[in-house]
Formats: sequence, C-alpha cells, structure tokens
Amino acid sequence: MGKRDRDVRISLQTLRALEAFLENPADELSGADVQKRSGLASGTLYPILLRLESAGWFLSRWENIDPATAGRPRRRLYRLTTNGLTRASEIFASLGRGVLA
Amino acid sequence: MRHRESGDIACWLVRHAAHHSPSDLASRLEEEWLADLSARRGVASRLRFGLGCWWAGRIIAHEHGAACAAPVSAASGHRLLLLNVHLDPSRWSRTTAVVIAVICIHAVLVYAFVTGLAQRVVAFIPTALDGGIIDVTRPHEPPPPLPPPRFAQPRVDVPAPVLTVNVQDAPTAIHVVSPPQHQPTVSAVPAAPPPVTRVLGGPGAGFPNTDDYYPPAARRLGEAGTTVVQVCVDTGGRLTAAPLVVRSSGHANIDAGSLNLARAGSGHYRPTTENGRPVSSCYAYRVTFRFKD
Repeated sequence: MGKRDRDVRISLQTLRALEAFLENPADELSGADVQKRSGLASGTLYPILLRLESAGWFLSRWENIDPATAGRPRRRLYRLTTNGLTRASEIFASLGRGVLA
Repeated sequence: MRHRESGDIACWLVRHAAHHSPSDLASRLEEEWLADLSARRGVASRLRFGLGCWWAGRIIAHEHGAACAAPVSAASGHRLLLLNVHLDPSRWSRTTAVVIAVICIHAVLVYAFVTGLAQRVVAFIPTALDGGIIDVTRPHEPPPPLPPPRFAQPRVDVPAPVLTVNVQDAPTAIHVVSPPQHQPTVSAVPAAPPPVTRVLGGPGAGFPNTDDYYPPAARRLGEAGTTVVQVCVDTGGRLTAAPLVVRSSGHANIDAGSLNLARAGSGHYRPTTENGRPVSSCYAYRVTFRFKD
C-alpha cells in the first residue's frame, strides 16, 4: 500500500475530490454526489476516483437497492478508507488549510 | 442495468466510452456512469456528462495500458481495483503531445515554404485575382426629374395669450372719425332743412372675434396696440371699399391684423342710420389687440 500511496499524483482536482469526502468522511458518495460537491467534470472526476481506489484511499461498492423498486439504477458508492482519510488529512494539513478556496 | 433512454446521445457516449475502457472495467463503468447520468436533468447537462465520460474512458484506458495491471475482482465490487496510477514515463503526456503536434505543424509549414510549395501558392494567387478591365462607361442619360418637393406645413405651437377683446359692439364705444359736418350757412334761404338723427354704424352681430385675428407674429413678439380702421359700409353692412388704417398702432403686424379683421367682418357691420333708415357711410372704429391677464 505504501508504494501505491507514493504513486498517487496529488493535483488540484484530486484535492477537490478528496475535499468532497472530507466534509463527512463517513459518507458514501456516488460519482454524481462528488461532482456536485467538488464541481469537477466527469471526464476529470472518474479517473481520479479510479486512481484513488486503486491506491487504496477509497473503497467502492454497489448501492444495495432494488432498481425496479427504487425506480432508478443502482449507483457506485465510494467512501474513504482509514488509510485514505489519514493520507488526505496529512496532505491538507501540510497545505496549511482544511479546505480549498 | 441498462438505462431506459437508450436513444439518448449521452447514453451512447457513455456506452461508447465504457466499451473502449479496459475490458475488466467496461461493465462496471458503464453501469456506474449510466446510473450517474440518470441523475442528470437537461439535455446540455447530460451531453456534458456523456462527453466527460468519453474523455474519462480514454484517460482510464491510457492509464490502464500504461500501468501494471494486477488481478481485479470487479464483479464483486468490494475489492479494490489494483490499478497502478503511476504513468509510464516513456508515454507522452497530453501536454507533450500537444507541443509535439504544434512543432509538427510548424515543420510542415516550413517545409512547404522551403520546397517551393508556397511559391506555387503565391503564384497562383495573382492569377486568381487577375481580372479584366470592366467597361464602366454607361450611356449618359439625364437623371429623371425629381418630384416636386412637398413641404409640410410647419406646426408652430404658440402659448395661448391672454387677450382682452376690445371690440366694442355698443355704438357709444366706437369712436368715429366722421367727416366734418357740413353746416349749411345760414343764408337768405328761409327754408331750413329738417334735423337729421344720424347714428353711426359699427361692428354688429356676428362680427368676428378679435382674438381670432391676433397676428401670430405679433403674439410671439409681444406686440399689442390699438389701430383705428376706417370702413365704408352699405346698407346691408357689407364693405363697399377696402378698409384703411386711419391711425396706426405702431406695429405693422397689429395694423395688418386689424385690416384682416375689418375685411372679415364684411356683412356683419351695422349700417349707419339716418332717422332710423340705414344709409351707406364711412366711419372708423378701433381695434385693440392686447394680451389678456
């Protein structure tokens, strides 16, 4: 995991995605939710989610609903892992601020 | 789960992007993106999302191809995608690709100018622009006559003056400049003529209103005054001669207005009577133009 952590490229867009999760680290967010919170475009957001997931910062699962009952397709939900939360907190602390302007 | 709006362009873009993603991620990305697309409202928003997914698919495919793929269990969805996000340094980044593309375009342009392609282009341009002399001589034809100009009557808004009409209807108010009475000399003729009761005429019933003949120019200039006008009237109250200004007001406009009023009043004069019988006569009366308070 440590090697993969070093491979994560921390860009401004990555920080915005992480910030969306740090509002409430226990939240499970879909890609659409992260888009609303971060304002990132889908073409930028989904590669970041996959990168962070592969680096072990995120866990994802399918939403546990019956699409026929809910009337909508199930979503892919992401949440911060303990390691991801620790690493994200360290990064924001190193930047000297809690949230992005 | 397939999205209902299969005919949507955004859906097509999402599916296209997912199908061109790495095979182990294609089904997951398609379902995930279609689910997020279903939360979008509005054609533009959905289209932006679809284009974004199309771009994301390209990036993911690029990174996936450059990474050392690890075993993936995407079917369960509970296991991480062990995708190394470290890019291969040998691969070009987007910035590098753009820079190289710009350099290539410049190289092609330089090559074109050096090899003479540009000369042919330059030589082609004058030929394309070469043209014959156009005979612009045209038969001299006189221009058609212009239609007669039409002048609109200018509208002059003059504030209504406050005037005092000093047209005196009463016979006593009219100052008559009467010719000197011929006083028969007492002669030896013993028979004296019977006395004649003469009542001079003046403006009678239906005589025009003085205000209506107040000259506009005089109003604008603030001119006012009294003119004594002499008229000759027959027994029917009609003018028998052109009215004359006996005493000017000092303003030509006022005098002209007085004469106009005198002419307009023809037929509405009260004839002079002698012993109650109307006779033709000449008499004078005053016309006053002045602003009313």
